[in-house]
Amino acid sequence: MIKQNNSPNDDVIPVSHHGAVSVEGISETPRKAKKAVVVGLPNSGKSQIFNNLTGEYSIVANYPLSTIVVKKGQMRVSDEIYEVYDTPGLYCLFIHSEDELAVRDLIYQERPDVLVLCIDANLIKQSLVLAADLIELQIPMVIAINAIDETSRKGMWIDSATLSQITGVPVVESIAIKGIGTNKLKAAIQKARPGRLPIHYGDMMARGIDTVNSLLPDTIAYRHKTAILSLLSDPFLDKYLMDNCSDDQFKKIREAVDDVQGVFKGNLARTINHKRAEWVDSTADKIIKRQEAFTGRFSETIARMCRSVIYGVPILMSIIVATYFLVVNVANWISTEMENIFWAPVRARLDTLITYPFWNDFFIGQYGVLTLGVAGAVLTVLPILSVYFILYNILEDVGYIPNLSVLSKRVFDKIGLSGASIMPMVLGFGCKTMATLTAKSLTSPKERYITIFLIAFALPCAPQIGLNMSLLGKAGIKAFLITFGVLAAIEAAAGLILNKIIKDDDKDSFIQALPAIRMPNLNAVLKKTFYRLFWFLEEALPAFMYASIAMFTLEKTGILKIIKILFQPIVEGFLGLPSEMVDALILVIARREAAAAIIIKMSDNGHLNFIQTIVAVVLSTMFVPCLAHIGIIVKHQGWKSTVWMVVSITVISVIISGVLNWLLYLIF
Amino acid sequence: MKNAMEIDEYLEALWHMKEDGKDSMAELKAGIGGSFSPDIIADCLSEHLATVSDDEQTVVLTFKGEERARRIIRAHRLAERLLFDVMGMTKNLEEGACEFEHVVTPALVDSICTMLGHPKESPQGLPIPPGDCCDTAATTIESSVVHLTEMEIGQSARVAYVNCRKDHELHRLNGLQIRPGVTVKLHQTYPSFVIECEGSNIALDEQIANNICVWREKKYASKPDEPKVKKKRTFFGKGLGLFSKCKKC
Ligand SMILES: Nc1nc2c(ncn2[C@@H]2O[C@H](COP(=O)(O)OP(=O)(O)OP(=O)(O)O)[C@@H](O)[C@H]2O)c(=O)[nH]1
Ligand SMILES: [Mg+2]
Ligand SMILES: [Zn+2]
Ligand SMILES: [Zn+2]
Repeated sequence: MIKQNNSPNDDVIPVSHHGAVSVEGISETPRKAKKAVVVGLPNSGKSQIFNNLTGEYSIVANYPLSTIVVKKGQMRVSDEIYEVYDTPGLYCLFIHSEDELAVRDLIYQERPDVLVLCIDANLIKQSLVLAADLIELQIPMVIAINAIDETSRKGMWIDSATLSQITGVPVVESIAIKGIGTNKLKAAIQKARPGRLPIHYGDMMARGIDTVNSLLPDTIAYRHKTAILSLLSDPFLDKYLMDNCSDDQFKKIREAVDDVQGVFKGNLARTINHKRAEWVDSTADKIIKRQEAFTGRFSETIARMCRSVIYGVPILMSIIVATYFLVVNVANWISTEMENIFWAPVRARLDTLITYPFWNDFFIGQYGVLTLGVAGAVLTVLPILSVYFILYNILEDVGYIPNLSVLSKRVFDKIGLSGASIMPMVLGFGCKTMATLTAKSLTSPKERYITIFLIAFALPCAPQIGLNMSLLGKAGIKAFLITFGVLAAIEAAAGLILNKIIKDDDKDSFIQALPAIRMPNLNAVLKKTFYRLFWFLEEALPAFMYASIAMFTLEKTGILKIIKILFQPIVEGFLGLPSEMVDALILVIARREAAAAIIIKMSDNGHLNFIQTIVAVVLSTMFVPCLAHIGIIVKHQGWKSTVWMVVSITVISVIISGVLNWLLYLIF
Repeated sequence: MKNAMEIDEYLEALWHMKEDGKDSMAELKAGIGGSFSPDIIADCLSEHLATVSDDEQTVVLTFKGEERARRIIRAHRLAERLLFDVMGMTKNLEEGACEFEHVVTPALVDSICTMLGHPKESPQGLPIPPGDCCDTAATTIESSVVHLTEMEIGQSARVAYVNCRKDHELHRLNGLQIRPGVTVKLHQTYPSFVIECEGSNIALDEQIANNICVWREKKYASKPDEPKVKKKRTFFGKGLGLFSKCKKC
């Protein structure tokens, strides 16, 4: 909802491992800076352009929804300083659900000096619809036609000069991924000007728009566009109008809107859409030139294979198996070697240097700041994450991930979820926190709840998958298959049960744009991997150190022993795990990866057998969602529901793991 | 002529009663409302459209009356479908359809029925009485509009209309350029539908795919049919002004 006094930075949630700027960072920019907002359809290259303009890094990935929180950066062109915003994808300014509101809110609140419209050259018509919408705001604008490397391969040529003539705004061509066009774009931003839209909606409509426009007070932004949106009965506009007008003004506006709508007999939206579509078609005809012959599209064939059941399932399996072997063999090897080369000698040396037992323990004991805090994060976890992230980032950039939403459609049908919840769940395999944010787009409360619950429950996120694979690899591929099978079964069962318990409501529909399969750019993949690891270290290194100090204190004070004794019946009796697992479970709360580091150590020291490895992984995957994640769930569902969710997930995870332990004993 | 239109109203009401399994005179009075006039009943009797029992308690359509009522109802409900599906009207359906039913010829009704793919129900879910065109449809592949779900994989077709109940979906599809006039290609139907439209691939569930109606390719391959469609469009464009006048029902 648009709120007057509420800064749109409400949506800027400081989730640092995705690089979203925290709110504090914003106040530092000088007042004079102009504001430039990068907007465009989902997956059109906005983040890449933002990165090129600002030199910062916002995650670039070949699927829609890779950016879901607004990110800010700075750009300097000659003497001018610009604050640049990277935004989530936008289809049009007419809003139907809350999640789409973020960008419009940003524009209405910040009133940018420049809009940088990023157009995917492959999707000219779709983008022109958005362009028409944005031009009506009358904000100075620039258009960047991006990814022209792909259109030229397809035998398509976009006449940017003509587009500039038609719209009246500067148009630059861009291959953002290679940094081509960045300087021209910077120059164009300085020459940005309001566009023109030669669409005549008809005299009656024009009069209607003017009437409503004249009733809008000065406090309302972009009155022409606001008038059009109110005529279209935009469900989220009334709130904004009410907040920014007196009651009397609001009543008059409503009356005028009703009058005009009455004249058009419910056909108003159609009339506007129809006129626009005509403009889009004729403009596209003028600016797209096609070659008659061009080489076939190999990537299309691959995309189709990934989505079909016959090829898609084997492809998915091969990807999983290949990832497994790379993580288990390569990552574990690197990790061991690094420990041997870097840590073992240092540790030995320190051992002789630090003779005082307390400090010896403090630095290089089991929970020493260096043992767990530094070696655990850098030597145990980092290599595994590096290998896994490279593979995951390649998949991301290829555009493989959204195709999973097609493949898994029927599975979701079975647990009563419409297709709309598939993408959030699939994104959960990347980052659960981000995935929970995308679940905002679900309009059915029931589906939203189930989706958020399932994401929080037994779904492993990218670091978890990597670490679990590495850990299970030590016990063999059978352990890996059993564990992931069990996790999948748990998710399915939870979905089925929640579907039964929660009262039915309107189902969401499934309309999902699928990105084209792309050849991944090695540079881009490495850069993304670097940033992901960097953000991990930035966050995890301090967290690991605090955790190690906390554990050290707990141990030295004897509290850890008491906890262990208290929980012994559950951990050793019911779960069949060594009492060291208590340490891991305490660490899960601080930092999941720290717990993984402990479990990996346990496994390396031979303290975990086949069954125990499986149970430990299943338990630590589900046990307590991470803190950032809980924060987002609270934002969505409120405290009460969140506490209930977290407690039940924790309790259920213990019960399931215990039962699993006994089942495995019966079988093996 | 005014009289004929009023008779039509009564016949319509009697058809509705028949659908509900009712036949009492009181029911008819209630159905017509304040303007009920025994004169019209008398006219119906003299034209052999309806028969009234001796005690004047029950009234039913004759064969002749039923044929005429059936024509009217068919035109009315097809008009509703047309206004709803093709023109996207959600309000004033009834009004528009009422005016319409009195001005169309049976031949035109049949061609509309064909164009819409011989729909079986009105937007409110009431049955549309089939016409001659519907009986032959099964064999001659006449209908020009089919649901996306009925297309074959690999086939391309132009979208005729999008039949979504929710504004939200319609807008979403519009944003993806799935709108009347564009060409879509069906790539996949299982596990979910995947279509290509203006250069992008879009996955849909079956219910949405079913709501997208496309022109059958053959119709478009042969040029002569093009103007026919255009003509229809202008006809209804003009008609729109006409419909809004119906205040009666
Ligand atoms: N071939 C090609 N690919 C590009 C170009 N620019 C961006 N891409 C790719 O397009 C995909 C999407 O880029 P992003 O910058 O994440 O797009 P976005 O608009 O921020 O996407 P969302 O935040 O998800 O809405 C990535 O896979 C990029 O590698 C380009 O100029 N050429
Ligand atoms: Mg982005
Ligand atoms: Zn009538
Ligand atoms: Zn028919």
